[in-house]
Amino acid sequence: MTSLQTLMKQIKDLTPIPAVAHQLLAVVDNPDSSMEDIANVIQYDPVITASVLKTCNAAYFGLKNPVESIKDAVNMLGTDQVIELALIKSGARALSGSQEGYGLIEGDMWKYSVSSAVVAKLVAEKLSLKNKNVIFTSALIKDIGKNVLGNHVANASQEITRLVDTRNFSFLEAEKKILGIDHAELGAMITKMWKFSPRMINIIRHHHLTDESKIYDKDIAAVYLADCICMMIGNGVGSDGLSYRFKHQVMKNLGLSAADVLMIIAEFGINMQEVDTLLHMA
Amino acid sequence: MKQIVGVADMKVSNNPKESIITYSLGSCIGLVIYDPAVKVGGILHYMLPESSIDKTKATARPYMFADSGIPRLFKTAYNLGAAKQRMTIYVAGGAEILDQAGFFNIGKRNYMALKKMFFKNNVIINKQDVGGNTNRTVRIEIATGDIYVKTSGAKEVRI
Repeated sequence: MTSLQTLMKQIKDLTPIPAVAHQLLAVVDNPDSSMEDIANVIQYDPVITASVLKTCNAAYFGLKNPVESIKDAVNMLGTDQVIELALIKSGARALSGSQEGYGLIEGDMWKYSVSSAVVAKLVAEKLSLKNKNVIFTSALIKDIGKNVLGNHVANASQEITRLVDTRNFSFLEAEKKILGIDHAELGAMITKMWKFSPRMINIIRHHHLTDESKIYDKDIAAVYLADCICMMIGNGVGSDGLSYRFKHQVMKNLGLSAADVLMIIAEFGINMQEVDTLLHMA
Repeated sequence: MKQIVGVADMKVSNNPKESIITYSLGSCIGLVIYDPAVKVGGILHYMLPESSIDKTKATARPYMFADSGIPRLFKTAYNLGAAKQRMTIYVAGGAEILDQAGFFNIGKRNYMALKKMFFKNNVIINKQDVGGNTNRTVRIEIATGDIYVKTSGAKEVRI
């Protein structure tokens, strides 16, 4: 079991990953860039987005309602303020981008997170869900718990692998059994400490749908499905691989067929180059 | 030199100094072909079984689908002097999420699309590593035809 105090300390020490600082600078330097362009660059980076939202929600700004997306932040605080925040956050410290316990080398989680967010947006559009930006941002940062849990997973990797390989545990179930907490729960703890909106914390907490009653929440189901699709696509997936549970009921509830899922994957395949170019993922 | 095959991508080479690699196959399939006589090899990394779901997308990204990608892989190798009867074939990927049985099992559907085409065209798979719940990275050395596979979290092994 992992002590809560240890985790809390590690959450406090969590280093934001600098990802798109240079792209952001390029966009800012271009006089033709719009507020939308700037928000687009920032929101493709999970840790900077998280970090900017965390700061926006800090008491200092005195916002009435929690900010849920970069676009909200830009609207509420102004473009310049958000750019400044993003740059300070991203430029300050070195990238801590590998999560060895999950077999993720530097940048893998980032790639996976961006893919998840893009696919989640496609799912949200397909279902005409209104919280598109919240779904996008939640999908982007849903695995933030792995940043803290990675070391603990590494230390317990033999036991976790044994449960997954021989006892039909999902990776998440094995984390919970061996470490006493899983990365979705930890992600919720982190985002709660960072003062994210309850809706986003809820999506992150339930993005693997361990609590089946959450299947009926379409925002959660959309992020869950996007995660499944990204596991299948494989971009930036770690040693936990595809060892998570697929819930057929979700498809029924969302009213999606297998053909719809194939189309979403195809749509992502078409847009992938654009995303690669944007973030130098390739 | 290393040639990287992205998702929905293909590379073929006859340069003995090169190796071709594709990373992190989930439910996608990595199809590796090699003709030892002329030392021509290639990898196709496709995502989906059939292009009939969207012809426009298949025209834009033919390597995204089994049925539009596989013939192109073979033809490109033939153009470099490879011959079908000498070709060795390796297939990796087609993994699935836990409990993902039936219609939504895209990994299995990707693999079946390939099997169907190979059956029709009399092509035999020499080795394969498909299914399961792990990601695979596959690499071929053009000089030797040696193929290496790495599952995430483990070391690369020669097959």
